[in-house]
Amino acid sequence: MIERIGYLWPEIVLFIGACLTMVIGLSPNADMRKQTGLIAGVSLLIAAALGLATPAAPTWAILPGIMPFAKPLIALVGLLLLLVNIGSVDRDEEAAIAAGKPFNPLRVTGAEFYAFFLFSLMGAMLCATAGDLIWLFLALELTSLPTYVMVVLSGRGKKGFDRSQEAGVKYFFLGALGAGIFLYGFALLYGGTGTTQFVEIAQHFAAHGMNPIATVGLVLALVGVSFKIAAVPMHFYTADVYQGSSGGVAAFLAFVPKTAGMISILLLVSTVGWAAGQGSLPPAIESLLWALAVLTMTVGNVLALLQSSLKRMLAYSSIAHSGYMLVGVIAGPGDGSFVSSGIAAVLFYLLCYGVMSTGVFAVLASLERKSGGEAVEVESLDDIKGLCRSHPWLGWSMVICMLSLLGFPPILGFFGKVPLFTSALGAGHVVLVVILALNSAIAAFYYLRVVAGVMIDPESDSGVRDTGVPARVIAAVISGVLVLGLSVFGNVFMGSGEKAAEVRRFVGQSDEHDTDSVPLDEHSEAAEDEHHAVSH
Amino acid sequence: MLGMSDMMHMASATLAQAGYPEAMSTPALAHYLFLSAVLFVIGIVGFVTRRNLIIMFLCTELMFQAAGLALIAFSRFHLHHTGQTFVIFVLTIAAAEAALALALVVLLFRKKDSLSGEEWREMQG
Repeated sequence: MIERIGYLWPEIVLFIGACLTMVIGLSPNADMRKQTGLIAGVSLLIAAALGLATPAAPTWAILPGIMPFAKPLIALVGLLLLLVNIGSVDRDEEAAIAAGKPFNPLRVTGAEFYAFFLFSLMGAMLCATAGDLIWLFLALELTSLPTYVMVVLSGRGKKGFDRSQEAGVKYFFLGALGAGIFLYGFALLYGGTGTTQFVEIAQHFAAHGMNPIATVGLVLALVGVSFKIAAVPMHFYTADVYQGSSGGVAAFLAFVPKTAGMISILLLVSTVGWAAGQGSLPPAIESLLWALAVLTMTVGNVLALLQSSLKRMLAYSSIAHSGYMLVGVIAGPGDGSFVSSGIAAVLFYLLCYGVMSTGVFAVLASLERKSGGEAVEVESLDDIKGLCRSHPWLGWSMVICMLSLLGFPPILGFFGKVPLFTSALGAGHVVLVVILALNSAIAAFYYLRVVAGVMIDPESDSGVRDTGVPARVIAAVISGVLVLGLSVFGNVFMGSGEKAAEVRRFVGQSDEHDTDSVPLDEHSEAAEDEHHAVSH
Repeated sequence: MLGMSDMMHMASATLAQAGYPEAMSTPALAHYLFLSAVLFVIGIVGFVTRRNLIIMFLCTELMFQAAGLALIAFSRFHLHHTGQTFVIFVLTIAAAEAALALALVVLLFRKKDSLSGEEWREMQG
């Protein structure tokens, strides 16, 4: 157990950062309070650097290479998300304090917000480190519990506070339902295999095949975790929650829980399919994922077409993108090269999606309009028409990120989608690829509507203006530049994606009973001792 | 009860098939699993059909405890402590969720003077 500390430095740094922000954010000195965002940023930078240096291929990990890819990814996109969110909490309260209102520690929430921000990112990183079901359960909960509070806090002191509370309540209750479902799935998975360690579960499946209890457990676990990625049976909350939270928090929700969920799905599925050596998934799990993927992309895209609110449209588009990523999960590891590995495709797509969706939400967060004398968020496409003329930096960032979300060649999103196509084709899922292509075509309608509105239409007269928080504009521009930059230099990530997608296989261990595999079918004392040595 | 005995036989046959000794798969495990499945289903059905936020929250708690019961039963069945360790963590998370749920419910009650989830429908889609 103790040797795992070596893989946890990024999380430890984020934890220290979170504790510091919690203390410093309550300082009566306003200058000290302002440092919370800086502390969060510095700890994310250090975590990214440490994450890059994470040693690979430990014996307890089922996807041994995933950590050096996932952790820097989460930390760096987290940094971008921090830029979008910075300065958005406590704006009115801080302004009132500066104007002479006495400081009341109960009224400021900056400390909690940044601490929860870091905790949630830490949870997502811990998902990548997970080696057993208990760990994965705790990591998933650590990712999602802070986000419920962040949603509620994001509207505090603004006109939309009712909305953000409603969003928080909905998100929490459906999140708890999802957690209950995947927890029950984990319990059955443990019951059916006699262990919570992924590697041992994979060995058990390799030796004895699937049994109904474990199959039901895996199905429930996948359905429950699909809440985190907003896949279809559990997608109801998405639009309301994104609409109710501030733009920055919506961007956070679009990336962090999705990343944690996708990584968890990869870990769970790899115990049964690829790692067990068959190279493909068992029919029950494959058809479940197939149905999830097809429903998720289709429902997401069709409903996105019907939305007038930009945030709701982006919410449904994020559902659709989860569907695209599930295609990569179905495709499996292939022969391990970047073009044939669905796992590498999923991981690379998470990178693309994180950057481009953060860019779009950052543009929305940077803008506000007047409504009855009060500044409110931009709501519909009409508000941002002609943005390229009135706010060229924001407008062009929006255009680039939208085209990238659409998968328009030769922009980043296109290069993200190509490996999904090639890996699914390589695994022989032609129908799935056709559905994916059709969905990309449907998606073109609503993305291009926004692109055309922003680029071509005359400026709107709804009085849209900058919110005056430079960090958000900077985040939007950085995202736009990153999308363009990665379109050109994205191939540097192919190697790391390939390494991250490496799969451990347990072929033929059923007959050998070598020292690594715990012989679960014999309840001999030796086996028990060995098991305890492994698990504690 | 026909359904229950069926389930019991299925569970023990399954586990025997999965390589566990026949003597281990006594009906006792199936009883626990059946109870836990019933709790879980009550939780889901209650969550979907009720609109009172406290009851909805208790339903999710029921689902958590159903999983806890299954974990302990399996832990005894496999003759090791992993499942029981898991349950301790499950209880911790359940407590954290309870704190959050009650905070949200209090927030709701202060605003709308009602515990019904129906009161919160400003956003429609």
